[in-house]
Amino acid sequence: MNTSDRKGDFPEILASIVHDMKNSLGMILTAVDETVSDCGPRNCPSSRHLSQMQYETKRLNNNLVQLLTLYKMDRAQYVPTITDNPVCEFIEETIIQNKPLLDYRGIDVATDCPEELYWFFDRNLIAGVINNILNNAYRYANNMLRICAREENGYLVISVEDNGAGYPEEMMTIAGQEAGETSFSTGSTGLGIYFASIVAGLHKNRGKSGRIELKNGCSLGGGCFSVYLP
Amino acid sequence: MRNPEHAESGILYNMFVDLSRKKILVIDDFSDFRKALRKMMESYGAKNVDEASNGEAAMEKLEIKSYDIVLCDYNLGDGKKDGQQILEDAKHRGFIKYSCIYIMCTAENTMAMVMGAIEYQPDDYLVKPFSKEMLLNRLEKVMKKKKDFEDIERAIQKKDYMEAITLCDWKLAENPKNRFEYLRLKGDLLLKAAMYDDSIELYNEVIAIRDLPWAQTGLGKAYFYLNNFEKAKEIFQYVVDTNVTYMEAYDWLAKTMDELGALKEAQDVLLNAVDISPKSILRQKAIGEIAYKNEDYDTSEKSFRTVLTLGKNSYLKSPTDFTGLAKTLVEKKAGDEALNVLGAIKSEFKNDNAAALQAAIAEGIVYKKLDRGEESRKALEEAANMYENLAEQTSPDISMELAKAYFTVGETEKGTQMMKDIVRNHHEDDTVIKKVQGVFTDMKLSEEGADIISATRQEIIRINNAGVRLVEEGRLKEAIEYFEKAAAGQPDNKIINANAALSVMLFMQKQGMTEQHMKLAGQYIERIRKVDPAHKKLPQLLQMFRSLAETRPQ
Repeated sequence: MNTSDRKGDFPEILASIVHDMKNSLGMILTAVDETVSDCGPRNCPSSRHLSQMQYETKRLNNNLVQLLTLYKMDRAQYVPTITDNPVCEFIEETIIQNKPLLDYRGIDVATDCPEELYWFFDRNLIAGVINNILNNAYRYANNMLRICAREENGYLVISVEDNGAGYPEEMMTIAGQEAGETSFSTGSTGLGIYFASIVAGLHKNRGKSGRIELKNGCSLGGGCFSVYLP
Repeated sequence: MRNPEHAESGILYNMFVDLSRKKILVIDDFSDFRKALRKMMESYGAKNVDEASNGEAAMEKLEIKSYDIVLCDYNLGDGKKDGQQILEDAKHRGFIKYSCIYIMCTAENTMAMVMGAIEYQPDDYLVKPFSKEMLLNRLEKVMKKKKDFEDIERAIQKKDYMEAITLCDWKLAENPKNRFEYLRLKGDLLLKAAMYDDSIELYNEVIAIRDLPWAQTGLGKAYFYLNNFEKAKEIFQYVVDTNVTYMEAYDWLAKTMDELGALKEAQDVLLNAVDISPKSILRQKAIGEIAYKNEDYDTSEKSFRTVLTLGKNSYLKSPTDFTGLAKTLVEKKAGDEALNVLGAIKSEFKNDNAAALQAAIAEGIVYKKLDRGEESRKALEEAANMYENLAEQTSPDISMELAKAYFTVGETEKGTQMMKDIVRNHHEDDTVIKKVQGVFTDMKLSEEGADIISATRQEIIRINNAGVRLVEEGRLKEAIEYFEKAAAGQPDNKIINANAALSVMLFMQKQGMTEQHMKLAGQYIERIRKVDPAHKKLPQLLQMFRSLAETRPQ
């Protein structure tokens, strides 16, 4: 790692600009959140637009985070920071983050998680994955969302199910590939899934690697995303 | 989420998080972020929110007001003190109490750096941007956690590690959900209490469940303390290879290489580490010292200069940063600048006798190298006077510095005498003895040094054994007198002081407690604590002392 060599390096410049953009976006997001809560969901004529802004800003933010993380993985042999996490608290937190939007769309979120479940994973990376899925649910779910966590054959499985129309065929193909072989060529909607599969693959334990799974149907009849972490 | 559990935690918000009476400090270099955070806190009723835009302003505020919550951005601008340094400085100076919640706000690109911090960890991390609901949720969690760990933390602050370990065991017996947090803490405590075999067992149990860098690093430390440097090296190397941002492992790997005599490799490991995380003063200083030994004066100078820059307004600033640079500069034929650097110690460390002593010692060496013998002699004379006056406040490191200076200027007799004193006071302390041998080797007195060390060690062992025999024969009164003399000759020797304390307390167990004897025993124990708070015999001695204190004086 020699900093002087990197000065004129285009990807490096790109990354630092993305980082700066993310700062601005963070400010916008905070301001929008503030405005939404001042305005109240029902009695403000602009609330539909505000909610749209909130959704798009979050989406942009998620994308930039993913971009930066992927860049870092590409560059500096990114190593996940694995800690022992209370799974229910973790899920609760991702819901808190996305609650205003889901409330606005009238999407009901149910959780199913054994209280005593703890698991080892990189909290920020997995939060990025779940945030992205919840953000998509805002657009694709009908009015119901279910997040559940369980232990299954030495893996932690976190699933997000909705009652929307389900995942299109080409996305299911991306998810089905091995993490290392995944190619990213299906446009912006695929980024989240691509990112999720890479992140899952970075989680390794005793020769096992993490993976993701996309299905349609499940308990709510719509899309069903699962991440498996060893 | 509309299940009953959430309704319950809704009540908990009100129970735990009442911000109206909390004193809150927000530290961020962007005023917009500060305002946003202030608004978030105010929306939950906070009335007392202060702001700071950089480390200096933050330290001023932290010094005069005792905050309940500190929200601090990690990256406060290039070349500026970062959030981790503020935390370390403030904790070290006692500005932040245990009850204070310190939350670090980071961008994800600095997350790993924050998590890899060595000594002081913040209570929690939040990745920007976050919503106010999220912030409140975290505050609530941290408050609960602080309450859970309160007792253990209190014991740790009293340096009562045995008590803290017992409390950890109680918690672990309840099989808590956050079992690994308690295991990690207990592992640390076992190392502090020098219970290395127990810590190895604990870390291996953890690793059998999950290969975690903190457990591997802990395991490496245990082997290091057990002088199994080969094994320690293997483990630290593994952590560094598998977790490139786990900075603590680099420092330990370098330390281990140093012990193994692989100074070049140690320097390389540390140079790798500062490439990833350049702001650690101690790491930069370690490079300066190792590069000096490697006669790589360019690297040494560069690192010491970085140390001086980083050390401004830091609690880690030390006179040895300056003496280190000065000694390097002399080797680079920049004698005048070396003397200037030493001159700066006076203004940087006002009214600090130990610093003045360090400066005088280094002046002695620098003048000698500049062939200004008379000034060198004067400086060392001054140093010797200051050393006498400092008496109890000196450390073996300072004593060795002075001894080294004597050797350098050719006063071998005085140097040897000082080295003997150090060995007498630390005859069983392998780290000190190794350093002593290192000084002799540096001074090309390797063989003479080895003889002096072994003869002095044997002399102390003989003195100690004679006293122990008196105790074993039940001649406790004589043993007390004997050890009193021995301890006066070797005031910092842990074993002599421990046996002195033991003989007085055994005497009281037989003859009854007297205040005079209690005072004496207390003094011996205090000396051990001062020299080595984690000394193996300390818990047992304290236990004995406590039960005697509960008996009635005769």
